[in-house]
Amino acid sequence: MAMTRRRRAMLEKEAAGMEPPAGAAAPEEEEEEKAAEEEAPEEVTFEQARAAAETERRRAGETARRDRELLKEKRRRREELFKEQKKRKLLPENVLEELTSGPQINNNNLSDTTKQGENRDESENKNEECNRRQDNEGKKQVVSLKGSYMAVRLKDQDLTNQHQKMAKDFVQCHLYGPGTNRTTANQFFSFANKKSPVKKAAVQFVNKSWGREKKQKAKQFKKHWMSTKMMSSV
Amino acid sequence: MGEFQVHRVRFFAYMPAGIRCVAHSARSARLALARTDGALEVYNFAANYFQEKGIPGHETRSTEALCWAAGDRLFGAGLGGDISEYDLEKLRVKYSLDGFGGPIWSMAADPSGTQLAVGCEDGSVKLFQVLPDKIQFERSLDRQKGRVMSLSWHPSGTRIAVGSIDLLRVFDVKSGHAIQRILVDRRLQGLYSCECVVWSVAFLSDGTIVSSDSVGKVQFWDSEKGTLLETHPVSSSAALCLAVSEEEDSIVVGTSEGAVYQFQLLPVKWGSAESKWVRTKPFQHHTHDVRAVAHSATALISGGLDAQLVIRPLMEKMHGKGYDAALRKFTFPHRRLVSCAKKAGLLLFQFPQHLELWRLGATSSAGKDGDILPVSRAPEHLLQLKSKGPEHICCSCISLCGSWIAYSTASRLHLHRVHVENGSVSVKRVPKVPKLLCSAHQLLCSADSTSLFVASDQGAVHVLKLLEPGGCGPLQTLRPNSGSPEAVYLLAASADGDWLAAAGGDWEVNVYSLRHFKPHCTVPAYHCAVTALAIHPVTNNLVITHSDQQVFEFSIPDREYTTWSRKVQQHGLHRGWLERDTPITHITFNPNQPAHILLHDTHMFCILDKSLPLPDDATPLMNQTALKQLSEKARRGHAHAFKICKKYQPLLFVDLLEEGSLVVVERPLMDIKTQLPPPVQQKKFGT
Repeated sequence: MAMTRRRRAMLEKEAAGMEPPAGAAAPEEEEEEKAAEEEAPEEVTFEQARAAAETERRRAGETARRDRELLKEKRRRREELFKEQKKRKLLPENVLEELTSGPQINNNNLSDTTKQGENRDESENKNEECNRRQDNEGKKQVVSLKGSYMAVRLKDQDLTNQHQKMAKDFVQCHLYGPGTNRTTANQFFSFANKKSPVKKAAVQFVNKSWGREKKQKAKQFKKHWMSTKMMSSV
Repeated sequence: MGEFQVHRVRFFAYMPAGIRCVAHSARSARLALARTDGALEVYNFAANYFQEKGIPGHETRSTEALCWAAGDRLFGAGLGGDISEYDLEKLRVKYSLDGFGGPIWSMAADPSGTQLAVGCEDGSVKLFQVLPDKIQFERSLDRQKGRVMSLSWHPSGTRIAVGSIDLLRVFDVKSGHAIQRILVDRRLQGLYSCECVVWSVAFLSDGTIVSSDSVGKVQFWDSEKGTLLETHPVSSSAALCLAVSEEEDSIVVGTSEGAVYQFQLLPVKWGSAESKWVRTKPFQHHTHDVRAVAHSATALISGGLDAQLVIRPLMEKMHGKGYDAALRKFTFPHRRLVSCAKKAGLLLFQFPQHLELWRLGATSSAGKDGDILPVSRAPEHLLQLKSKGPEHICCSCISLCGSWIAYSTASRLHLHRVHVENGSVSVKRVPKVPKLLCSAHQLLCSADSTSLFVASDQGAVHVLKLLEPGGCGPLQTLRPNSGSPEAVYLLAASADGDWLAAAGGDWEVNVYSLRHFKPHCTVPAYHCAVTALAIHPVTNNLVITHSDQQVFEFSIPDREYTTWSRKVQQHGLHRGWLERDTPITHITFNPNQPAHILLHDTHMFCILDKSLPLPDDATPLMNQTALKQLSEKARRGHAHAFKICKKYQPLLFVDLLEEGSLVVVERPLMDIKTQLPPPVQQKKFGT
């Protein structure tokens, strides 16, 4: 709590007695000192001071508590917002339920079959099919839902493409990588022009791709302008 | 010649894909070639190096190795991890088998042709058995660390040499264990640098292993002792591929700089028994990396990333310096990629994954011979049709009136209706196009735009009726009398809509009558591939050109060769005509001059005037410029039937439009070269 200058002066006086006032604060403190010197110091009893200190402490505690509460509220609100967004992103509840219940029922089925044997429900039939399919396909996690569609992990599908890409990168690195001594086609074919007795320009002297978008825009504008001119004149 | 206004078209941005691997079959004198975009081509060496078969590419297919096995079966393997067999009769992939080893880097057939060894990314070499209708996984040799970049069988079929990164290994096929391990040095002198990739190995019958690596050296190793016999530093960049001849006395090596070197096993001293490998001939026919080489009995074959196939016959194997010993370079396809809608003045360009429709420009001024006329209306890019899916477009066509566009990929046929009004273009897909069980190899619209002819497998031609507002009728099929397993790849229709000619892979030309809808006759067999067909609009004579540059004219109503054709055969064609490098890809006619035939190949176009005498070998063939200088009378004395113009080249397409104007589609080589991947720098003094 920022203390008032007057109070600080009073405390200083009370604590350490009269000290000569230092540099920049001199004029104000001199004033205060003068003011303080003119008047008699306030008489504050011990109880009053204690009460004042307590109220101060209580106030400080309350403000801290209020801040903490505000923070808590904010955090709570943000969490709820995130939960809502996450809910919106997920699939509708019924699909999720079925997906999660699938493997669980499978596990149950396994234990059931070991213990009992015969339990021919429709759902369990389906789960057995799921089981079989899982056994056949090994690593791939395939869960079938009433035969209408299949959920498959995309990570397993991309392997050949990844391998192919890595192989192509290997070849690219060894043929066109840093160690190889490559130059552009323009430079390569311009050697003949440079060395011939009649020096000619490089093969791609004019780069036709400069400002391609600007040229196209200009063409469109011209077309539009011509058409408006035609319409206005006719 | 005739007075023509020439539309000189250079806006077809055709870009060939680089050559990735080649496989030569000595038995059938054929070369299979795989490009970086997944396309496959088969060249027939016996038929004057004609590109007789082509399988269109695929977005995800990247072939790393090709081999011929078990007779004439072609297998390919690539970075997708599967081994495919190609059906060369139906022009597609017969089946694919996953190797389960990751991307496949190399594949080789054993000397007997019954087993395939495949080198995979995970370091294993897998053996597959070649069965009559499929291949089957047999077993896998011991797995090693490091990817298998290259492999080669010993001629006895008992051992396999495998090149990977920094290492060479020799495997014993029976036990599957590695019996020898050789370390390849990273660099001859200088600093210790990055890893050395052994790009290619070859196993000779005396136990010598030849390896070429990314440092640029070719090394000869003794496989028994595992020691180095000889080192030949061949280039400062990588030596990417090597091939050994049948007799094992000659090796060809291709490098990243585009140079191809030949190594020969020569005796140390004249008459001595001891011989050494010596680098004999350097060839620099490529500008970019040479990623594939093959060694036939008489020639060195190299294919590079500059999309050129170079066949260099070896002089010591050739008899004399005739045309057989000439260098052959192939950059442009032997198929037509451009279609022209003559009545509408539109051009359709076929790219691997899209089609472009352009309207030709116009000029309002006239001039005399040799003038360049100013363009009053610039050529306009009307439409770009993108094909969906990863497959490349196999063939396309546009009707003569310009209102129907059809194209086909390996699995589907697409048909579109196009309306071009004053400023606007609208295109609508035709629904319910009947599904073909096989792919279309050639498409052609009839002259009156009422039918679409689709060339497909087993000699069959499908006829699809085109209905006016934008629909199509049911599919009818024409089949030849003699059953043939090969696919049809060329079609020609007559102007009156009565006749259709079809040429198939077995080089047989069948003529069908469309009025009665049955086969009419077959042209007598000729021992060479057909490269172009066309039917004259007035006389209904079928003009056929073959890959050995012979020209025939067959009269369809009379079912026999015409008298002019017999005269040409008796007289023989001029030597200059027969010694041309590229085949004729398109034939067309001039409606105002019924005796004229217009043909073109990549480097010239020619107007054959049937009314003029044929030249003999003594007179020069290309005499047009000389004739211009002479007077009218002298010209008549010296003129002969072949009027050749070499002003426009390299040509992709030449056609005659209605109003006496020619359209010439060129593709300058430099435009292709500037768009190729970066080549290796060549330091030249003074630059």
